[in-house]
Amino acid sequence: MVEGKKRSRSFRRVYVRTPGGHNVIHYKSRKPSRPHCASCGTVIHGVKAMMSRAMHTVAKTKKRPERPYGGHLCSACMRRKIIEQARR
Amino acid sequence: MIDIGRICVKIAGRDAGLKCVVVDVIDANFVMIDGETRRRKCNILHLEPLDKTVELKKNASHADVAKAFEKLGYEVHTTKAKKATTRPTHARKSKLAGPASAAGAAKAAPKPAAKPAAAKPVAEKKPAEPKKAAAPKAAPAEKKA
Repeated sequence: MVEGKKRSRSFRRVYVRTPGGHNVIHYKSRKPSRPHCASCGTVIHGVKAMMSRAMHTVAKTKKRPERPYGGHLCSACMRRKIIEQARR
Repeated sequence: MIDIGRICVKIAGRDAGLKCVVVDVIDANFVMIDGETRRRKCNILHLEPLDKTVELKKNASHADVAKAFEKLGYEVHTTKAKKATTRPTHARKSKLAGPASAAGAAKAAPKPAAKPAAAKPVAEKKPAEPKKAAAPKAAPAEKKA
C-alpha cells in the first residue's frame, strides 16, 4: 500500500522498468507552470518554472532576462512598448 | 534616416530604452553608437530613430558626445578605466614545507601558542598540521632548547 502522502494528485506517477524486469512506480513532484507574457500570453524565455521556495535560493540574475520588463513581457512586446514610448 | 549625428533609442538588449547617437556607419546593417549606452557596434534593426539630430564629426569621442547630450538634457555616464593589477593568488598552507607551516601554525593558533611560537626556531622541517600546531611544536622546541 502506498504511503498516504504519495496518494495525493500533486505527485505525478512515472512508470519505470527496473533492470530486473519489474515495472515500478516512481512518485515525482510536479513543477509549477512557466511564466507567460503579461501582454500577449506567450511563454517567457529565461525564467525557470520553479517552486517559490527553490526560487529563494537562486541568484536574482538567474530568474529573469537582463533587460527592461524582463520576466514580465516577452522580447517582442517589450520592443513594441519601447518604440511606442519613443514615438510619443 | 540613420546617419551620423542621428539620435536614436535602443529597442533591444539590456540597454533598451536608452538614448544614443550614431557616431559612425560601419556597413548596411551596423552602426557605432554612443551616448547613454556604452560605445559599441549596434544593429540598425535594434534602433528606433528620433526626430532630433546632433552635429557630430565621424568617430566623435565619448567626451564630445557627452557635451552634446548635456545640452539636450540627457545624462551620460563615463566609466573610469580600471588599473591593470595582478590577480590575487590564494596561498595554500602546505603541510610539507617548513617555514610555510610554521607561519600557518602561528596564524591558526595565535592565543595559546603565542609564547612557544615566538620561542621556537624559524626553519623547522617537520610536517605539522595547523590545528594541532601548539602542542607538538612546543615539545620539540623545548627538547631542542
